[in-house]
Amino acid sequence: MKSIRRSLSLGLVAGLLVVALLLVQTSLWLFEAGLKRSLENDLREETEGLLIAMVKGPDGIRLDTQRLNPRYQRPFSGHYFRIELPDRTWRSRSLWDAVPAWPETSGLADDLLEGPQQQRLLAYRAVYRRDGQPIVISVAQDYTPILESFARVRLSGLGLVGVALLVFLLLQRYAMALAFRPLERARQQIAQLQQGQRQQLDNQAPMELQPLVEQINRLLTQTEESLQRSRHALGNLGHALKTPLAVLGSLVQRDELRAHPQLQASLQEQLEQIRQRVSRELTRARLAGEVLPGAHFNCAVELPHLLDTLRMVHQRNLQLRWSAPSDCRLPWDREDMLELLGNLLDNACKWARSEVVLSIKPSAEGYRLRVDDDGPGIPANERAPVLERGVRLDERAEGHGLGLGIVRDILNAWGGTLSLQDSPLGGLRVEIELPGK
Amino acid sequence: MRLLLVEDNVPLADELIASLGRQGYAVDWLADGRDADYQGSSEPYDLIILDLGLPGKPGLEVLRDWRARALPTPVLILTARGSWAERIEGLKAGADDYLTKPFHPDELLLRIQALLRRAHGLANQPLLQAGGLELDEARQCCRRNGEDIQLTAGEFRLLRYFMLHPGQLLSKSQLTEHLYDGESERDSNVIEVHVNRLRGKLGRELIETRRGQGYRFGASA
Repeated sequence: MKSIRRSLSLGLVAGLLVVALLLVQTSLWLFEAGLKRSLENDLREETEGLLIAMVKGPDGIRLDTQRLNPRYQRPFSGHYFRIELPDRTWRSRSLWDAVPAWPETSGLADDLLEGPQQQRLLAYRAVYRRDGQPIVISVAQDYTPILESFARVRLSGLGLVGVALLVFLLLQRYAMALAFRPLERARQQIAQLQQGQRQQLDNQAPMELQPLVEQINRLLTQTEESLQRSRHALGNLGHALKTPLAVLGSLVQRDELRAHPQLQASLQEQLEQIRQRVSRELTRARLAGEVLPGAHFNCAVELPHLLDTLRMVHQRNLQLRWSAPSDCRLPWDREDMLELLGNLLDNACKWARSEVVLSIKPSAEGYRLRVDDDGPGIPANERAPVLERGVRLDERAEGHGLGLGIVRDILNAWGGTLSLQDSPLGGLRVEIELPGK
Repeated sequence: MRLLLVEDNVPLADELIASLGRQGYAVDWLADGRDADYQGSSEPYDLIILDLGLPGKPGLEVLRDWRARALPTPVLILTARGSWAERIEGLKAGADDYLTKPFHPDELLLRIQALLRRAHGLANQPLLQAGGLELDEARQCCRRNGEDIQLTAGEFRLLRYFMLHPGQLLSKSQLTEHLYDGESERDSNVIEVHVNRLRGKLGRELIETRRGQGYRFGASA
């Protein structure tokens, strides 16, 4: 995944590296150029000194060794000369047996010469005229110590660049951590939103994030409101459809119709079909599914009320128990979850002799819900057909016959699975696997 | 048994009043939430059947206000709102039972019977039992020692009320208040006539007369 932090770091490192290398190399060049100019002066003065050392003797011009700097006498001292007259040549004693390729043009030589003992020489050539004859004086100086010190300077310069880079990176990391703190907070809040631990993002975001946070919050509010509106409208529609159905159901029982049992039966059957269909579709339309990221179901708050309601509806002195991890919050819509659990428990209550147990546990993929009862159960070979028909597990019990259909719709929306098993209580166990978010 | 039916759908209310009347219940009917709020807590009803989508004032609010005023009358919610979340809301508001529309008429009658028995601290059995008698509310007859005794509608109403209040002193005015709806004429002599007929069918000792105070059912049993 592309990370803003990494690309910023890469950009910084590349930029700093290019600038630092340019800086080091240019300053070295400039410095070397200055140094060479000053060395050129020195060398020219050396040639002038040598010129002075040329004295007129009885048999022409000769070199007065007394006037020579002693370093020209010491072998390989690093300072060398050659003086050429048209008829004779002097070379410094320090050259010993070495024959450097003296430059052919006047001034400072462009290239360094190969000197004795791996010395590299900076050479200078000057031409003078005395008594009508040309005197060519070339001097050279060992340049290796300067080269070595340049190499040292370059190395330590690079070292400094490296340290500076490191320091910059650390500083930048720190600055980014500071700058990214609101982003990181928003990221955490969105994660909490996904897990149903909050309904809105914090509005205290920095200016740059404010529009994003506000937009998300507005979307969340709008989604929730439209869900509520549609649920309300469905409630009204249900009211409008179900009350006339109740009237019809009552009318069908009238004595006038009792005289025509066939007519009454077929009317009742049709009414029952409408009733089932209306209830199923209205309940299905109420499902929120996955639209609300902030939705959650707080077990400890909701389950006691749900079980109380089931006790009220069933009035059979049933033992209803539940167990869930402490502070259990399931990341699904409250009404959907109540509908799922209500229908499963309602089924179990219809069949149970005395006991129904709901357990909620975290599993590898998400959550595992189990509803156990101590009723007659369903033989293993009848379970598959029951699940295939999918809907009518509860048809055998009197009362409302749409429980498992809704359960199936909810599980489809959530990507969950349902299986029927033997319960340790002796009856049926319905096990639901819900994938986490 | 006198019931209050709060239902804004007239055809359904008509059907329910007729079917409840056939079962020997005296029924008062209201269609507005505000009227129900007042009358439910001012008249001595034995049970209230409450719709939730009411004009004037929502049923749940009416129920909450009744309970806030400590009205003990059992309330059965009869509504099209069938989701579990809505049922829980009903229970939290103080409902004693919850039946969703459309319903089977017999289911409503069974639930009313069961709720009345529970409200009077009687066990939920198929037949109402008190004072050595069993009352078959569906057939409106009673049985003693395996022998059926036929009852008229008036006798049945009275006997059911007695059997739901065994051993309690019931004044004539209390009996008329609970056996007749708010619109029928109340004549305490009718009560006397029915009591005497019941004594004739079931034995004198079953209903004791306390002079100036009223009647007591099943005191000897």
